[in-house]
Amino acid sequence: MSSEIWVVADIKADGEVRKVTFEVLSEARRKLGGPVCAVLLGSGVSDKASELAGYGAEKIYVVDNPNLKDFNPDGYVKALCGLIGKHSPAVVLSGNTAFAEDYMPRVASGVGSGLAMDCIDIGMTDDGRLRIKRYSHSSRAISTQEFNGDGSAMIATVRPNSFKEEESAGAGEVVSEDAGITDADIRIKVLEIKTKESDRPELTEAERVVSGGRGLASEENFNHIYDLADLLGAAAGATRAAVDAGYCPYDMQVGQTGKAVSPILYVAVAISGSVQHFSGMGSSKVIVSINKDPEAPIFAKSDYGICGDLFQVLPPLTEELKKALSE
Amino acid sequence: MKIVVFITQTQDTEARIKVGSSGDSIDTEGMKWIMNPYDEFAVEEAIKTKEAYGGEVVLIAAGPQRASQALLQGLAMGADSAVHISDEALGETVDSLVLSKLVASELGKIEGVDLIFTGMKIIDEESVQVGIQIAEELGIAHLALVSKVIDVKPDEKKLVCQKEIDGGSVSVEVSLPALITCPDAMNEPRYASVPNIMKAKRKPMKMVSLDDVDFGSLGINRDAVGKSGAKIKTVNLEVPEVERKLKIIKGSDETTVKGDEIAESARELVKLLRDDAKVI
Repeated sequence: MSSEIWVVADIKADGEVRKVTFEVLSEARRKLGGPVCAVLLGSGVSDKASELAGYGAEKIYVVDNPNLKDFNPDGYVKALCGLIGKHSPAVVLSGNTAFAEDYMPRVASGVGSGLAMDCIDIGMTDDGRLRIKRYSHSSRAISTQEFNGDGSAMIATVRPNSFKEEESAGAGEVVSEDAGITDADIRIKVLEIKTKESDRPELTEAERVVSGGRGLASEENFNHIYDLADLLGAAAGATRAAVDAGYCPYDMQVGQTGKAVSPILYVAVAISGSVQHFSGMGSSKVIVSINKDPEAPIFAKSDYGICGDLFQVLPPLTEELKKALSE
Repeated sequence: MKIVVFITQTQDTEARIKVGSSGDSIDTEGMKWIMNPYDEFAVEEAIKTKEAYGGEVVLIAAGPQRASQALLQGLAMGADSAVHISDEALGETVDSLVLSKLVASELGKIEGVDLIFTGMKIIDEESVQVGIQIAEELGIAHLALVSKVIDVKPDEKKLVCQKEIDGGSVSVEVSLPALITCPDAMNEPRYASVPNIMKAKRKPMKMVSLDDVDFGSLGINRDAVGKSGAKIKTVNLEVPEVERKLKIIKGSDETTVKGDEIAESARELVKLLRDDAKVI
């Protein structure tokens, strides 16, 4: 086993490196010791190596292969298992994106490793075993877990927005690898990719989120949520009840079933605050709620709030926010 | 179509939870155990597929004695038979790798499987990985977070579905057999009625003891099952009370803001966000 700490870069559909990759690189450097290296997998991604070096990567293992386009797990599993088998890193990390949740479990099986997902803290024990914290029980409990140090790579994924990204020049030595991925390795045929055309940040990595509940009462009224989100430069989210009612698409769902978010500011509009919803946003730094029911459970879990009708409160609130933001 | 559903019995996380005396797990005294909510979507999808294309639905679970209750619920929903890998050590936290190997070894004995469904997440451990690792152990493809099955082609042994990805969705085609993980947007699970639960008790349930498992061929030791042999161990569990500021602006009658209070509350909230929280 080498002492290398690997961070697998997560590349977005537009070819850019996802912010969580820089967050994980920075925290690995601050907390884990050992040379921090990056792994860059994809099609036509080689030019991103220098960006990873800018956040402290000493080495960047690159597999640039046309079969790694389209976020298809099979190719990534083969590439990463091959690299881990060849170089035996001590630790393998990545952001906890939907794609990591898709392919990383197979990698752990492939190399016989333990896998801790969606971690909110990472560190090392004195004898060099990875120690992490993660949520459990609908995010109402936090467990501290340690790897047993059996010599297999210790694999973990990290929740976006858990750590601060911090630039720091690493040596950035590029190691090009041929993972030998062929068409035959790819079992899933991609027919069509529908990415959302939106100027708003993605929910899971946004620093601010504005979400609406069933109280919005219609798809049209969700424009209030979008307008407030755009004003704050925030992502737009929703409760399961609002999604089930057809007011907005499933990919906006925040909660146990939907996405877990950890923004600096979470604005909950007409959301009562179920356990399930909390399990997806309870770790937000500041929670603001607007609800006309003075008994709504969300108020007991909010930092700030207005007990009022959203249709009456949002117009003056928007005006006040505009004023404050322009100052 | 031969359809298998991997299900788990979980703690009801809506229940009040507190840390047990060992400090590394939840106190299960009086705990309500339920079928993992996401697995209900998986069972529903399996039954719907059987209704449309014919065939049979087999449930499989690995857990202590009590896990039979979750299997019974699935049988009452309409599954045909069940396999229960039963051992009290499976009631402890079990490595996802060990669990997936155990389940895959029994699943592999079922002949002619076309499709495997399972929930996208096990809610008590918040684990999304076991189902996908079963697919890896079986050497078959998996599709995670399938929001919609678009087309099943039993004759061509192919499946077309829509799955959720970061920032959008993708439609994909895959050859069967394949494993699919189910989110809640997928369907509306049917209710297991009391008469159907009574009838379910007469459906076949195969019990598998760990004594029947050939651990050698799985490449693991029997003592890898359970807490002591786990690759990742929980050393501490806490149920934190997050302190919130609770600065809620209400109307003069302690309910909603009205009239002039509305504009005033908006001004006050923005001031708090700027000066107190410093987030804008």
